[in-house]
Amino acid sequence: MPYAHPEYLVDTEWVAQHLDDPNVRIIESDEDPLLYPMGHIKNSVQVDWFTTLQHPLRRDFLTLEQFEEMASRLGITNDTTIVFYGDKSNWFACYALWLFEYYGHKDVRIMNGGRNKWEQEKRPLVKEIPSAARTTYRAKEANKSIRAFRDDVFKQLEAKKPLVDVRSPKEFSGELLHMPNYPQEGATRGGHIPTAVSIPWAQAVNEADATFKSPEELRAIYEGKNIKADEEVIAYCRIGERSSLTWFVLKYLLGYPAVKNYDGSWTEWGNLVDAPIEK
Amino acid sequence: MSLPPKLQEIVDDFAGMARDEKIETLIGYAESLPELPDRFQEERSNMEAVPECMTPVFLIAEKQADGGLVFHFDIPPQSPTVRGLAAILAAGLNGCKPEEIITVPADFYAPMNLEEAISSQRLNGFRGVLAHMKQVAVNTMK
Repeated sequence: MPYAHPEYLVDTEWVAQHLDDPNVRIIESDEDPLLYPMGHIKNSVQVDWFTTLQHPLRRDFLTLEQFEEMASRLGITNDTTIVFYGDKSNWFACYALWLFEYYGHKDVRIMNGGRNKWEQEKRPLVKEIPSAARTTYRAKEANKSIRAFRDDVFKQLEAKKPLVDVRSPKEFSGELLHMPNYPQEGATRGGHIPTAVSIPWAQAVNEADATFKSPEELRAIYEGKNIKADEEVIAYCRIGERSSLTWFVLKYLLGYPAVKNYDGSWTEWGNLVDAPIEK
Repeated sequence: MSLPPKLQEIVDDFAGMARDEKIETLIGYAESLPELPDRFQEERSNMEAVPECMTPVFLIAEKQADGGLVFHFDIPPQSPTVRGLAAILAAGLNGCKPEEIITVPADFYAPMNLEEAISSQRLNGFRGVLAHMKQVAVNTMK
């Protein structure tokens, strides 16, 4: 059984063969912002989930106009093939891909294994930052079918449709309220959204090289917890980064037709007045 | 309240740097963080696991003859930002007495204006490592 949409994945060798391809833009998106300046894949550019992709004032992503400006600055055209890669099993690479898809970019892919696998294979990293000729990028209206807001989560609850909590077991149980010393990512209440099933994100990737597990393994993990293709699914975590990896797996590797990432996640739900919580 | 002089010096240096220079200097600190000496491997292997999404930071303090503390760290190379922040704290506080370490304000780094280089989110690492160092310092006073 192949992945449902194998065109959304490229391997490290494919990237190595396309370093100078003018139709390809390689984008590094990491949790740790120093990794890119210390060494990155040749001709890749950096986006930062916080400083590049978030709205400077509101808790939201860039507006459509700000997104167009960012993409134009990075030399991306509407026809560019964009390959994302990053640290930590591609969490933030998936997050960036999700946002590019939100604004309608057609051809987006993940380098399977991310930075981890590239480094394991001793492939070269460079420090030169490529100069990109400015383009005029035109984004599409935000595609809300891949993004859940809190009202969508309430509706999901009422309709008894599936919610997937991809955080670690202690976050799901409420034992761990927030990351110690991460006051900005905390929540006043611990636990999970009622009816949510716990499927930690890490189950989808191979620990050894950060690549995705096989289609058979993935199917067994999600269907085994009754998360199936025939119903709309909403995934969430703490700030929406780990759940964008699960969103990518369900939507493109398993081909579920309706999957949303709830980027408000626990930092919204666990602070929301009158929201139901289970422990 | 004044900071220990070495830490104050580092804070002042960063305050005067442009963004790119801050990134370069932080990388320099990350790369200069020494390996954990072998004599601490046993303590290292007993370290508690940290929740995912957090960088596992191991640290241990040695008391010098004059009562000053010297900190040693083990932080994975995949997390250069936390390594850099820990190296700054080590450079600024190694040799200080526990009493001096515990009085360093949690937001001592504000004048460094590092958020323009690595975003405010990542500066939580400073709070985390400093809080951990203070806890270790308090334990040496008992």
